[in-house]
Amino acid sequence: MTIQIKPLTMRMFKKEVDIFPYWVGFLLIGLVFGAIGAYDILANGLVGTGLTNQVPWGLWITIDLSAIAMGGSAFVFGTIVYLIRATRFAIVGKLAILLGFLGYSTAGMVLLFDLGQPLRFWYPVVYWQPHSLLWEITMCVVLYLSVLIAEVLPIVLEHEIFHSHPWLTKYPILGKSVNLLHAISHILHKWAPGLAIVGLTLSLLHQASLGATYSVLSGRGLWFNQSAPVQFVLSAMGGGTSLLFFLSVIVFKIMRPGLVKDDVLYDVARIAGGINLLCIYMRIWDWAVTNYYSFDVEVSLQTQMLNLISPYSISFWVGQVFFAAIPGGLLLAAKKVKNFRILALVALLPAFCAVLLRWSYNFSGLIAMITYDPFTPEVIINSYKPTWQEYSVGTLVISYWLLAFSFAARFLPFVGKNEQHH
Amino acid sequence: MTDNPAEFSRRDTLKVGGAILGALTVTSLASVGMQNAHASHGVEGEHKWGMAIDINKCIGCNYCTYACQAVNNLADDMAYSVVTTETTKNGEEYFLSRPCMHCDDAPCVKVCPVEATYIRPDGIVTMDYDLCIGCRYCEVACPYDVRRFNWKESAGNTTCVPDFGIPEVDPRPRGVMEKCTFCEHRIDAGLERGLVPGVDESATPACVVACPTGARAFGDLKDPNSPVSIMINSSPNVIRLREELSTLPKVYYLPPKSTVEKHEELGL
Repeated sequence: MTIQIKPLTMRMFKKEVDIFPYWVGFLLIGLVFGAIGAYDILANGLVGTGLTNQVPWGLWITIDLSAIAMGGSAFVFGTIVYLIRATRFAIVGKLAILLGFLGYSTAGMVLLFDLGQPLRFWYPVVYWQPHSLLWEITMCVVLYLSVLIAEVLPIVLEHEIFHSHPWLTKYPILGKSVNLLHAISHILHKWAPGLAIVGLTLSLLHQASLGATYSVLSGRGLWFNQSAPVQFVLSAMGGGTSLLFFLSVIVFKIMRPGLVKDDVLYDVARIAGGINLLCIYMRIWDWAVTNYYSFDVEVSLQTQMLNLISPYSISFWVGQVFFAAIPGGLLLAAKKVKNFRILALVALLPAFCAVLLRWSYNFSGLIAMITYDPFTPEVIINSYKPTWQEYSVGTLVISYWLLAFSFAARFLPFVGKNEQHH
Repeated sequence: MTDNPAEFSRRDTLKVGGAILGALTVTSLASVGMQNAHASHGVEGEHKWGMAIDINKCIGCNYCTYACQAVNNLADDMAYSVVTTETTKNGEEYFLSRPCMHCDDAPCVKVCPVEATYIRPDGIVTMDYDLCIGCRYCEVACPYDVRRFNWKESAGNTTCVPDFGIPEVDPRPRGVMEKCTFCEHRIDAGLERGLVPGVDESATPACVVACPTGARAFGDLKDPNSPVSIMINSSPNVIRLREELSTLPKVYYLPPKSTVEKHEELGL
C-alpha cells in the first residue's frame, strides 16, 4: 500500500486548484517581510522595539511561550504511544512530535531576537546558575529540543526520497550520509521509550517553570501565585492537543483518508477535551483564589486598573473560560457529535485560549506595576505598543512554523515502510 | 541500497558514539571549569556597604542623578538613580530618591540565568557585563524598578559632563543590563589607597558626594561610627522600601517628619 496524499484544493475560476503553491508563496512573502525586521533588530538592537525598562517583555515572549505550548502534544502523545503503548495513536503521535519540534524550534528562534546579546544565547548552557528558573528552562528546552530532533529524524527519513532517490547511488557520499542517518534513526527508534521518559520529564519541568518564571516574583502582585505552574502545564497539554486534533483532521482525514481511523481521531478529540476541562477547573479555582487575595490592597488595585484600561476580566471569562469549556465539552463528546468540521473548528478555540493565557499573564504584572512608595501604595499603568520590527520578526517565525508544517503535511508519509505492510 | 542499516557497521556506530560521548565530556568539563565565576557569592566580607537617605533633607534637585550619569558614563536618557515625587497618607508631597537597593536577598540575583548579576562579599549587588545575555529577567524581577537595559550603543558623554563629574568607567556594550553599583570602582580604588568610603569623597558614591543638602550618607553598616550608621541611628523610624517582600535592602530612608509625628501620636 502506498500512501496517497490528496492536496488541499480550492474552487477558483470554475476548477479545483491546488492551493499549495499559492500558500507557500504567501508564506515566503511573510519570510521576506520578517527578514527585513530581523535584520533591523540584529543590526540596531532592541531600541527598535516598543519595549521599555518597565515593560521589558512583550510580543516576542508571548509568541515564545505560545509556540512551546502549541508543541505540548508532543510529550502527551510521546507518553501515550511509547510508555502506555497505545500503538493505535502511533501515526497521530508522529504529527504530535513534529508539532513539538516546530514549536520548540520556533521558540528558540524568537528568543534569539529577544536577547540583548543574541550571540551569547549559549551562555546558560556553560555558565550555570541553577537557582534561576530561566536557567532551568533554557537547559530543559535545549535538551528537549535535542530529544525532539532525535524523535523527528525517523519520521522525516520515512520519506521516499531517503530510500530510492537516484542520487543516493550516483553520489556515494550522499548515499553513505543517508545510510548513517538511517542507522542513527534505527538506534533512536529502539530508544524511543527512553526518549519518551526523558521528554516527559523535561517537558513537565520546563512547562511548569514557565509559569513559575512569573509566579515566583513576589513584587509583582498578580503574578505571585502558587497554581501558575500547574496552569501552564495543563493549558499547554490542552491547547497543544486541541491544535493536534485540528491539524490531524487536515493531515489525516482530508489529505490522507483512511490512514488513521475515525475512532482514533475521536479519541484524540476526547483527550483534548478532557484536559481542557481539567485546565478550566484549575483556572476557576485560580480566579477564586485571586479574588480572595484581592483583599490585598495591591492585587485589588492591579485588577481594578487592568479592568479600567483593558477587557481584563472579560478576556478571562470569554477567552479563557468560555472558549475552553464549551469546546472542551464538545470535544469530550466527540463520538456523539461525529462531525469533524465542527469538532475541528471548535478545537481551535482552546489553542487560542492557551495563547491568550500567556499573553494575559505576561502583561498583567508588567502593565499594572506596583510602586515602591512606602506610604501610599499605588499601581502605575505602563504602556506597550509593539513596533513594526516586532510584528515583522513575529511574522518571520510564524511563517517558518507554517511553512515547515505545510511541507511536512504535503510530503511526509507519516507511516514507515514496515507499518505500510501491516 | 540505503534501506539496510547494517551497511553502517558496528565500528562506525562505535565511532559516532565515541565522538558524541567525547563532545559531551568536553562540554561538561568546560562548564564545570567556567561555572561559579563569582564563587565568592555568599561569603560575607569585612565590610557591608549601605546607604541612608534623609527624605526630609531631599529638595529634589536631581544632582544625585546627574552626578551618577556623569561618573558612570550614562546617556542622558538613562539613569541608575531616579528622583520621583511621592505623597504621604495625608497628602504631603516629598521627594523619593531611588538608587539600587542592593538587597541582601536580591530577586535580580536569584533569577539571572548566568550569574551575571551577583552579590559581592561586601554586599554590593553588581554586574559582570561580559556574562549578561540581555534576557531582562532581572529587570522584570526587581520590585524597585531600578534595573536598566542598555537599549543602544553609547553615543558619547552625557550633558552632565563635566559639570557634575567626568566618566570614571567604560561604557557598557549595547544589549546588556546595567545597574547602580554604589560606585564600586571608587570604593575598591579608595580602599587600596587606605581611604574610608563614606568619609573620603573619592572613595564615596558620586550621588552622595554631589548631594548639596547632605541628604545621603554612605559607609560600612558594620561600623557603628560610619556616616551611614550614624544617620540610621539618628532616627527611631528608619524604613526600607517594600520591606514586606523580605528583600532586605541596604538603602535606608529617614521618613518625612509628619509621618513620624503621626506615628508617635498614635503611640506606635
